[in-house]
Amino acid sequence: MADVNQSMRRINGSQAIAESLMQEMERDERVVLLGEDVGRSGGVFGTTRDLFDRFGPMRVRDTPIAEMSFTGMGVGMAMAGLRPVVEIMFVDFLGVCLEQIYNAMAKIPYMSGGRVPMPMVIKTAGGNIGSAAQHSQCLWATFAHLPGMHVVAPATVRDHKGLMAAAIRSENPVIFIEHKELLLKKSKDFLSGAEVPEGAFVTPIGKANIVRGGSDLTLVTLSAGVEYSLEAAAEVARDGIDVEIIDLRSIVPLDVETVANSVARTGRLLVVDEDYLSFGLSAEIVVRVLERLGPGALRQIQRHAVPDVPIPAALSLEQAIVPGPASIERTLREMAAAS
Amino acid sequence: MKLNPLNLYRMMTRMRAFEEACLEGVPTFEIHGELHTSIGQEAIGVALAHALTPEDAVVSTHRNHYHALAKGVPPRALLAEIFERETGLCRGRGGHMHPFDPDRHFSATGIVGASLPVALGYAYAFKLRGLPHVAVGICGDGATNHGTFHECLNMAAVWDLPLVCLIENNQYAISVPIGEVTATSTISERAAAYGLAGETVVGTDVEGLTEAFAATVRKTRKGGGPSVIEATCYRFRGHYEGDHDGYRDRSEKKRKRAEMDPISRYRDILIARGEGDAEGLAAIDAEARAEMQAMLAEVRSDPQPDPSGALDHIFLEEAR
Ligand SMILES: Cc1ncc(C[n+]2csc(CCOP(=O)(O)OP(=O)(O)O)c2C)c(N)n1
Repeated sequence: MADVNQSMRRINGSQAIAESLMQEMERDERVVLLGEDVGRSGGVFGTTRDLFDRFGPMRVRDTPIAEMSFTGMGVGMAMAGLRPVVEIMFVDFLGVCLEQIYNAMAKIPYMSGGRVPMPMVIKTAGGNIGSAAQHSQCLWATFAHLPGMHVVAPATVRDHKGLMAAAIRSENPVIFIEHKELLLKKSKDFLSGAEVPEGAFVTPIGKANIVRGGSDLTLVTLSAGVEYSLEAAAEVARDGIDVEIIDLRSIVPLDVETVANSVARTGRLLVVDEDYLSFGLSAEIVVRVLERLGPGALRQIQRHAVPDVPIPAALSLEQAIVPGPASIERTLREMAAAS
Repeated sequence: MKLNPLNLYRMMTRMRAFEEACLEGVPTFEIHGELHTSIGQEAIGVALAHALTPEDAVVSTHRNHYHALAKGVPPRALLAEIFERETGLCRGRGGHMHPFDPDRHFSATGIVGASLPVALGYAYAFKLRGLPHVAVGICGDGATNHGTFHECLNMAAVWDLPLVCLIENNQYAISVPIGEVTATSTISERAAAYGLAGETVVGTDVEGLTEAFAATVRKTRKGGGPSVIEATCYRFRGHYEGDHDGYRDRSEKKRKRAEMDPISRYRDILIARGEGDAEGLAAIDAEARAEMQAMLAEVRSDPQPDPSGALDHIFLEEAR
């Protein structure tokens, strides 16, 4: 847990990740980082800066572009007692090594009857920032669908640091999806959680964060969706629409309790998801809430997600399909008008 | 076919001027995502253009614009695609990393290691149909450490497919120098592991490369089996526009740009051989720039895709 006496300062998301890695690698020499461009260049988003100089090439390894093999290597390292953090530069490339991820990393703890721990983190960047179909996407629901791995996506800067520490210290495999927009965002531009303790701390995986209290409607989201929703909520608040925003932080485990408690008060649920709509997070949340509260618990349900289309290159098209502050605001107003 | 020196020169300058036009769209936010240019590697484009027929296939990478031009993809539609316009080759859906021109058997991918398998498919189809075409799969030096490189060369060899694997060895995969991730001194020597002959050529010598590549393609086209050809070169700009490029030191970049610029090298050669003079060559440069600037101006007034079409083209209409 965070030490309340620690000194705080504002840093940005990529710094928070790098700092967490630095502290965890110092704390535990079994932690090893590998991936493309993680070493000398410090990562394409700067999330592994300074680590190569500090820990050298054996613990911070620039790999060839051979995702399947170095992901499998991570599995072997974990089985041999190390705690690998494997960076796959963009979440889209997890397709290249999905075999090792879902047949090996995610299943070995179970297949071994619980005898083989898998303290491994796959760290990657997702999100839609105008990079077209093969370098956008979030894909968290894809990994959540496949049993055996935790799926974490931080929103606040503080959580970038604390959740990364938790992922590294976990005995279970974690897919850790950073959002490119949040990695590139300046700390002064964050609406929430840019104050970060200097020392190491852990944010437990599996506990959602109510980032804005409200009484009219429950908005459930994660990752950059949190910042987008805070922006939208501030707009509609001027017109007296009071939105509660829940940052899930992880979708496996999924903190249904926090969501259900909120919905029990508001009776209205909006899920904002930057991943694809169908067979995904939004339906899962709605069903879990209904399972818990009973089928009549919701007066209003809305899902705002990418409508099952590959991410187009043209920004005019991307903006038409990816949830952002304006479209979230629109959805909130529509819901308020219809209630 | 005898090479026409001024044509080779003109092709290279047009490719460079095209990329320079693309560069203009980055600071203005007309182009999004990671734009990769081929500046410094143009001789490779010329070699492709010279050796291939319209029916041959080229499957390219994230660094694909000049391969597309070499394959005959219309520059106007390509530029419009790169600038994400409705008039683009793919109606603004694909963007600069994903241009597709089925008429010219040209495609590309933003995923490293994903080009050769698709080229292998073209090669298989050509063989199955008894067609005299070749499929060129292009990969960077970095991509040759991908499993697909090895898997594809093995399949191409054992099935004797008309695949030409063209390796652009610009010495870096983003920040990682080839020597740090590859144990052999050349990449092409790995071909021997699959029972193939590989060749490494100087990829900044436009005539030498064009001839060597043409010979390779001819061999494969005539049923001589797959080939592996590595062209050495240097990437002049950052990996993508916006790359801080701190991993290559300044003096290295300066020296390599002077030594490994296929255009200025060739300019000196042409002048020394009396096949061109400084003025005439400068006029070719200026003409290429003017052509691309005019095209850029046109593209800039093309419409963006209409947001109402965002869900179009997910599935094609079924034939009735
Ligand atoms: C499967 C996959 N892994 C990683 C990347 C990120 N990436 C894009 S280009 C690149 C380097 C490619 O190097 P090389 O093949 O030598 O081509 P070059 O960029 O030098 O032309 C990397 C790692 C990717 N696009 N796809």
